[in-house]
Amino acid sequence: MSKIVILGAGISGHVAASHLRRKLDKSHEVVVVSPNSNYQWIPSNIWVGIGRMKSKEILFPLAPLYKKKGIGFKQAKVTSFYPEGDSEIDKPFVMVEYVSETMRGETEKITYDYLINATGPKLNFEATEGLNPGTNKAYSVCTYTHADHAWQGLSALIEEMKQGKEARIVIGTGHAKATCQGAAFEYILNVEQELRRQKVRDKAKITWISNEYQLGDFGMDGMLLSYGSNIMKSHEMVEMVFEDRGIDWILGAGVNKVEDGLTHYETLNGEQNTIAHDFAMLIPSFSGHGFKAFDKNNQDITEKLFKGFMIVDADYTPRPYEEWTVQDWPETYQNPSYKNIFAPGIAFAPPHSISKPRKSSKGTEIFPAPPRTGMPSGITAKLVADNIIDSIKQQKESLHHKGSMGNMGAACIASAGFGMTKGSGISITTYPIVPDYKKYPDTMGRKLGKTFGEIGLAGHWLKLALHYAFIYKAKMKPFWYLIPE
Amino acid sequence: MTRRISKYKRFVMMNPIIQFFKFIYLSIKVLIVVAGGHGGTRQLEK
Ligand SMILES: Cc1cc2nc3c(=O)[nH]c(=O)nc-3n(C[C@H](O)[C@H](O)[C@H](O)COP(=O)(O)OP(=O)(O)OC[C@H]3O[C@@H](n4cnc5c(N)ncnc54)[C@H](O)[C@@H]3O)c2cc1C
Repeated sequence: MSKIVILGAGISGHVAASHLRRKLDKSHEVVVVSPNSNYQWIPSNIWVGIGRMKSKEILFPLAPLYKKKGIGFKQAKVTSFYPEGDSEIDKPFVMVEYVSETMRGETEKITYDYLINATGPKLNFEATEGLNPGTNKAYSVCTYTHADHAWQGLSALIEEMKQGKEARIVIGTGHAKATCQGAAFEYILNVEQELRRQKVRDKAKITWISNEYQLGDFGMDGMLLSYGSNIMKSHEMVEMVFEDRGIDWILGAGVNKVEDGLTHYETLNGEQNTIAHDFAMLIPSFSGHGFKAFDKNNQDITEKLFKGFMIVDADYTPRPYEEWTVQDWPETYQNPSYKNIFAPGIAFAPPHSISKPRKSSKGTEIFPAPPRTGMPSGITAKLVADNIIDSIKQQKESLHHKGSMGNMGAACIASAGFGMTKGSGISITTYPIVPDYKKYPDTMGRKLGKTFGEIGLAGHWLKLALHYAFIYKAKMKPFWYLIPE
Repeated sequence: MTRRISKYKRFVMMNPIIQFFKFIYLSIKVLIVVAGGHGGTRQLEK
């Protein structure tokens, strides 16, 4: 009888919990610890942020589902890790603090045989002075509450524009090392289309601001895509779309301060500039949660578990960009010091970025951190669950299931506007996610046929179909497991 | 705004009938890339 504790009920935590529960008999315990009471399908937040979807359409409460499926649920947040136990408890455990209304503030030591840390990122708004969703006319769409708030801000501005106000809209990354450019990219195109729908597009100047060196970098060092019968670079594709939509861009920008209606940023050539905004949506930097870990004697062993995010089977040896290889990237997401701890999704510490690191002439690092989108988050969570299942069934460690981001494809179906007949989407797939410059030296590290782009209405339908399919899957409705991660 | 996408291209991008077939094609293509498997890299290297 084993007890598997999963920290986090986002994409990766929920995927791991569902597969573990389905494949392990009820003599084994599966427990999810997460502060959020609802599951949210984050990719659809961009539609909440333009008022075309209600937040209740992208979420559902976790407790009833987990009760029905026999998954334990504690609405709590983990605060510290004791992978060897302590002087009182001989088993590994995590210390959690409840956040539910009835038990708020109470703490508990939760023991485990296997631990899956799927706590994703901390949305590190504090790293940028003045960036706090809903203040200084700057918003976020990273959670459904943020997205609701963003729509309130945007719709109020649209009303003013209808009265004749000329507005300045700035969307992009809110920190020199932010990631998740894809989400901001979707949001800027959706906002642009919404302004056209509301017949106020001519009143707005829309600017993309990003820490990317080139458009279309997306934190993935850009890519070479097949596009119809052509081959084009992702920056050419994004440039084409932005020009067509009348969107300006500022690149190599490390946003370092936001004031009421002003976004301040440093550029790669060391200049400090400011752009005014009536509405901004800036993705914050993502960081680890600052967890602490202790050994049996209560000595701090945080550095064995965390390097910001959780340490896994990556090669963390510092090397210059030219020497990076796909072999640096983890395969099993297992912590090397404590083999019963795993960290899929965004929770694992990447060995380095994917985009080429760049510094401003003042020494500020300005480049995207590596993204880990929903698909790899789900895939890595499933393979971690499968390895745990095999280990339990075979009663010895099994790490048969592997999935390096250097040998894994991903699809990014970026919404470019909402609507069954007027919508649009930019569908991009990449293989592999981390470019393998040795294997594919002439095509920017990627396999061409599997790395392609398409623009059009079908992309919107596909994104919408994925929304319904993944919510169906997350609700664990009949045959949910047939839908791939 | 600079018209970077030709009228014909835009017609193809927004025509529901053409896009219906594109939708089927894209769904299959995405499935192939995503469900096409994943694995390690270190073993391959040896
Ligand atoms: C606006 C937006 C749009 C996006 N669009 C797409 C898209 O179109 N396609 C795509 O593939 N990806 C997209 N992504 C990325 C995708 O959402 C992430 O890759 C994915 O959510 C990562 O999953 P995760 O489970 O690792 O982390 P999360 O989903 O962030 O989940 C982390 C979980 O951990 C919990 N947690 C936090 N702290 C603690 C704690 N102390 N103790 C216990 N639990 C804790 C959280 O409450 C949460 O449940 C988008 C992201 C954003 C922000």
